[in-house]
Amino acid sequence: MAQPGLQKKTSTKTEDTSSLKGTLISVFLVGLFLIITWVGVFYLFMDRF
Amino acid sequence: MHIHKYEKIWLIFGLTTLLIFLSVLGVSAFYLGNQPPSCLATINPEKVDTTKPFNKPGLKKVKGKAWDYELVFVASAFNYNPGEIEVPKGAKVKVIATTKDVIHGFEVAGTNINMMLEPGFISEFETTFDKTGEFLIVCNEYCGAGHHMMTSKIKVVES
Repeated sequence: MAQPGLQKKTSTKTEDTSSLKGTLISVFLVGLFLIITWVGVFYLFMDRF
Repeated sequence: MHIHKYEKIWLIFGLTTLLIFLSVLGVSAFYLGNQPPSCLATINPEKVDTTKPFNKPGLKKVKGKAWDYELVFVASAFNYNPGEIEVPKGAKVKVIATTKDVIHGFEVAGTNINMMLEPGFISEFETTFDKTGEFLIVCNEYCGAGHHMMTSKIKVVES
């Protein structure tokens, strides 16, 4: 027997989109990578003549 | 306008690092006076052999300048003049180089000395040779059939 869809209750989970913790960590990982490589190249430049 | 707390943190972090990197560049250029190796000094490429200091390539002791020696190189297809040179360790040297024909490279492998030599222009690099050893000079701008054979050598020896 056909079931009328209208009466079905669907529950959608809503994630808390305001949490940016993962984004913060990712941004700082990229930032640290940039700083470490920059400092590495700069050290190489200063060490050579 | 609402900005998330974390967004503020990484915006400030990003801007701070950008400012630090740019300040290092600024100090290097405007306080330490670093400039590109080829910086508006010109020469007639057809009269290199008769123009000072390129009429006598090699190492010369100089007085009354911020550097103790001038190391003059003339590049042409496919060699450098001089083909080998000894420099005393600790010498403050200004490397001065130019080319007689086409564009050549002037890279002292393993050091910061890396210039492009363009016909009509003089390239200069000031440095202190503070490590002993043999340093190979290679051409890193394709200049013709003998490009890969084009080398010279700087020997930094205990003075």
